[in-house]
Amino acid sequence: MDLIERYLSAIKRNLPARNADDIVAELRDAIASRIEDREDELGRPLTSEEIAAAIKDFGHPLVVAARFRKQQWLIGPEVFPFYISVARIVLLTVAAIMVAVGVGQVLFGDREPLQALLQTIGGLSSSLLISLSIVTIVFAVLERAGFPAEHIGTWNPEQLPDVGDAQPGPWKAAAEVALSLAFLLWWAGLFSLPIPAGSAEFRIEPAPVFAELYWPILILAAARLLHNLIQWLRPRWKLVLGVTNALTAIGGLALLAMLYRAGHWATVVSTGLPAHEAAELQTSLDLALKIAIVVTGAIWILASLGALWSLSRERPRHATA
Amino acid sequence: MPIEDDQFDKLRIELRRGSLVLAVLAALREERYGYTLRTLLDDAGLPIEEGALYPLLRRLETQGLLTSEWREEGRNKRFYRLSPDGEAILALLQAEWEAIGASLGRLLK
Repeated sequence: MDLIERYLSAIKRNLPARNADDIVAELRDAIASRIEDREDELGRPLTSEEIAAAIKDFGHPLVVAARFRKQQWLIGPEVFPFYISVARIVLLTVAAIMVAVGVGQVLFGDREPLQALLQTIGGLSSSLLISLSIVTIVFAVLERAGFPAEHIGTWNPEQLPDVGDAQPGPWKAAAEVALSLAFLLWWAGLFSLPIPAGSAEFRIEPAPVFAELYWPILILAAARLLHNLIQWLRPRWKLVLGVTNALTAIGGLALLAMLYRAGHWATVVSTGLPAHEAAELQTSLDLALKIAIVVTGAIWILASLGALWSLSRERPRHATA
Repeated sequence: MPIEDDQFDKLRIELRRGSLVLAVLAALREERYGYTLRTLLDDAGLPIEEGALYPLLRRLETQGLLTSEWREEGRNKRFYRLSPDGEAILALLQAEWEAIGASLGRLLK
């Protein structure tokens, strides 16, 4: 009998406290009835081994107790598809950001490629683990709150992407979002890349125009991030995408024009470089940055025209659909 | 391709699982406690593990389909029987079961 009480006690430890005693009392009767039946069949008391076998047959204490719980799973079959979809988006975004930062540190920083690779792998595993844990906790809470019933009832088939929609693949979309996010965070000063800007004899400082345009650039980067997110997650919102694309393109071109008009984007500060060499360097730098601004502007104009062309071709197709 | 026993067992358990609630409700038109209910189902060819039966009884009671009371009968036992709501649900489920049986009967001919 001691074994039965130990077994029941193990079950009770894992039962909801509110009705644990009541459940245990019922299970005690069930086990006793089973043993009595068996003893009647055999015409003798059961040995301790036979009692142990009967208890084992009843089930593992954790399993028996778990079946009395309301919640039988962390994330059930109805929530699982949403969980997997969101987890994939979050993990791809985190991975893309980590890889972009790692590559940035190799290209612009003073990190050795191997060192950067090892640090990226180390950071990647812990970041992915933390992200997955957070997503899992959020969806476990949603599971308890009955999330999918409402969403499944209210989703609109009209929002499904067209078959012909050029929805970016998950890696491309994640990379675009991650780069936008990484730039935004860098610009906001939330992390820094050790970009080499000079040598022992001189250093390069950004011109005051970048400080003057700090907020417009921050807002533009945030708007572009929003656009990339919508393109990835809601490709059917064509009007919204058209508007955000046009606004960010116009805003970007206006900013580029303001930058171009400033005429001076970086200053070479000599810390030992002869004056004429510093002046030559300044001239070369100004020319290089001028070309970069003009080329960037041209690329943006072409990209915007391409997007407008796609949008204009999209409309008649919908009109006939 | 030969049918594996394991595959058949899984499908068979899945098929029978849905009918257990109906079987329990039908058996509890008369008052019974857990152990006698299990032996009755076993004898009727519908065996159910105790680890599954007792939580099922609690769930059906929480849903208002069963009532229960503790009574002294040799030992303290918890007796279950159908509530009025349980009787109504049983009638609906029975009709559903018969419709499924008839439909499957036609398909399997």
